[in-house]
Formats: sequence, C-alpha cells, structure tokens
Amino acid sequence: MNKNELIAKVNSVLAEEFEVEESIITPEANIKQTLQLDSLSLVDMVALIESEFGVKIQPADLAQVKTFDALYDYLAERV
Amino acid sequence: MIFCGEEIYQLIPQRPPIVMVDVVWFVSDTGAETGLTVLPDNIFVRDGVFREPGLIEHIAQSAAVYAGYGTFVRGEKPKLGFIGEIKDCELLILPPVGSELHTEIQLVTEVGGIRLIRAEVRVNEKVAASCQMKIFLKDD
Repeated sequence: MNKNELIAKVNSVLAEEFEVEESIITPEANIKQTLQLDSLSLVDMVALIESEFGVKIQPADLAQVKTFDALYDYLAERV
Repeated sequence: MIFCGEEIYQLIPQRPPIVMVDVVWFVSDTGAETGLTVLPDNIFVRDGVFREPGLIEHIAQSAAVYAGYGTFVRGEKPKLGFIGEIKDCELLILPPVGSELHTEIQLVTEVGGIRLIRAEVRVNEKVAASCQMKIFLKDD
C-alpha cells in the first residue's frame, strides 16, 4: 500500500466509523476535533486503527498524533 | 481453576449478594476466563432464569476480575470499576437455574486507563451473550 492509498483508506474508515463527511478530513485538521472524539471514542479509534492496519498506537505516541497528517506518517512508518 | 468462592473477593470489590463470578479459570495479560453457576437464590433470577441485568453484571465482573488481577498481583486492594460503554451487545439465551456460565474476556486495546474488552458468555457450549465493554478503574 503506497501512502496515497493509505491516506484514502484511513480517511474512509474513520469517516464511516465516526459518521463524518470525508471532505472535512484534511491533513492539517485536528483528529479529536474533526471526529468529535471524547476519551471513550478515542479508544474506538485506536482499536479501529489496530484492526484495519495492524498498528497499535502506543499511549505515549498518542499525544503526538494530533493531526491527520501526523497519523498518516505514523502509520506509513509502521504498516 | 485459580480462584473460587471467597478467594474472588481479592479481585473484585463486590460482595454478596451482588457477586456474579464464582470461579476464575484463567487470567493473563490479554484476558480472562470466569464462570458462574446460577443458583435459585441469585438476585437476578426471576421465573427460573438468569435475567438480562445478571448477564451484564456477570460480564462486567468478569472484566473486573481481569482488571483486578493486576492489583492483586501488586498486593493492592481491588479497585472500584466503572462501565464506560456497552456496545454490540447480544443477549441470546437466558440461562435457567443450575446453568454453568463460562465466560471469556479478551482485551481489545487500552488507552488512557480505559480498557476495551470483548466478552462472550457460553452455556453448554452455546453463546448466551456477547458484547464489547469499556471499563475503567477508579484510582484511590
């Protein structure tokens, strides 16, 4: 999977799970704000990423992965 | 079997008549297996069957056993646990009195002290209930 395919899949699965329009997911957008995540739904996002991409976002890394661009990079390095 | 009867009080804060786990078969870093024999005087038995709230409470306490094992190993008292969310819940069989519930808890992920677990309750090898549950423990 190249990075463009990865980005497309990330946007698609997150938009579907959290019921937002894909168009509002932009690289610089804040993940929590865009997907309206609270502490409980943040757990869902981590579980979804793990099941779809096989990558567990480590708790220590979660604070650094604030934007979608950061998430794409994080996954691209590990997928 | 690694815990049974009152030994389970070392893992969960509940006490009779609300204790809904009477045996712990297995605990690991990623899950646990527990059980409960449905007795006639169980407070969740009505009309001879173990009702829906009992099944949910049994799952929650099974998850608490998993979470509480870590505190037990550290020599601490069991902590109060809270259910944050129940999702994809299916209650398929209301077990009759005398049934032996066998429940498997699997950790899906953990973020910020919140554990997402998947639970499946079996009775006579048939799935009686399943769900995903988010739980967290209250720090003292």
